[in-house]
Amino acid sequence: MNALRGQMGLWKLHLAVIVIGVVAELIGIRKIPFGIGAILLLPLLYAFVMAALMNPNVMPKFGKFIGEKEVKAASPLIVVAIMPFIAKFGTTIGPSIQTIIEAGPALLLQELGNLGTIVLAFPLAVWGLKMGREAIGATFSIAREPNLAIIADRYTLKSPEGTGVMGVYVIGTLFGTFIFAILASLFASVEWFDPRALAMACGIGSGSMMAACTGALTEAIPAMKDEILALAGASNLLTYATGLYAGLFIALPVVEKLYNATAGKRDLAATKNKEA
Amino acid sequence: MANSTIAKETTRPEINLVDHAVTLVIVCLVGLIMNTVGPAIPLADGFVGMIVIYLISMVGLILTRFSPFYMPSVAWISLVGIVATLPWTPGSEWIVAQAKSVNFLALATPALAYAGFAIAKKEIEVAKHSGWKLIVIACLVFFGTYAGSVLVAEGILRLQGI
Repeated sequence: MNALRGQMGLWKLHLAVIVIGVVAELIGIRKIPFGIGAILLLPLLYAFVMAALMNPNVMPKFGKFIGEKEVKAASPLIVVAIMPFIAKFGTTIGPSIQTIIEAGPALLLQELGNLGTIVLAFPLAVWGLKMGREAIGATFSIAREPNLAIIADRYTLKSPEGTGVMGVYVIGTLFGTFIFAILASLFASVEWFDPRALAMACGIGSGSMMAACTGALTEAIPAMKDEILALAGASNLLTYATGLYAGLFIALPVVEKLYNATAGKRDLAATKNKEA
Repeated sequence: MANSTIAKETTRPEINLVDHAVTLVIVCLVGLIMNTVGPAIPLADGFVGMIVIYLISMVGLILTRFSPFYMPSVAWISLVGIVATLPWTPGSEWIVAQAKSVNFLALATPALAYAGFAIAKKEIEVAKHSGWKLIVIACLVFFGTYAGSVLVAEGILRLQGI
């Protein structure tokens, strides 16, 4: 029963999570009008912010109750805490299997839509912001753990490419849930798109971002809650399965070629000028 | 944190089932509190639902540990949840009914609280060093992946006419 003793030693952390969670749940879901749409604020967002404010690394002055020991222990606990959530999502997929099969082609092909990162972010990074090889790491994927592994393996994380992927990874960790809650709220409120398409796009291979994304969608379109959960869950599972390979064999080679064909030449010219 | 996560992704981790069984009980109890406070689902219903969720997670972990090939635990847990609730699985109706008493957003709340507590010094440093350029790029990356998937899915659904 070492495990039990270990967790009991973390009572402060668990207690803090319970208190923060209860406060967040009591505040509940809030709707903020924004332009033509509305942004939905979810309890999980307040919980993240409140916990971050009690984190000694973020707010050194308040770091009395939670210490470095709790911070270290919290990291593996995220993975365990997301398991019941993933299990719950699984139970929404089974009963809707007919919907999933019907939407199968869309579900499979929208995985390729993840390459939209390149279409949108790469040109701005290279031409707009004149970034160097950081752009390769930063724009080839949404920089979740499997993608970090790809860059670490190919360039190491200390390389410029590594700096790029780490930057997006950390920003995703800190702000990803907010960004996806906002994105989903706005896309849903313009009413141009099929809610099923919006749901599938939520499955990006990150449990917490999917939670924020589907949470916002189900609040905006409550009538389709079951379908939204099932399609998002199925898409997320598909991304778990295919994300690593899509990044390794499609996205990264494409970004590398694009970079070498465009900014790579610029870098080369710059080095030549320096030498001359 | 980043380095250890990579190690977990690339090599098959040894899962200590007893440790996980205990930790999962705590996490599920925390989730049950959220489920009762926020969505106001009666405690007795939520309790049974959470036991079902707990068992699905544990079966998934056992498969992660003993299956002949490696898949991440979240993928196994997902699959167990799916198979247990397929219409042709015996008893699936009961499982679906119980799982309905557990609200998915209530389960995400504690996970994000742990995530807030897990922010490491190094991550704050990376965020500070990355500068505004990477923040702009990150927002576009997320917008791009979402918009890209929405557009492809929308297009295919229209082609199929469903």
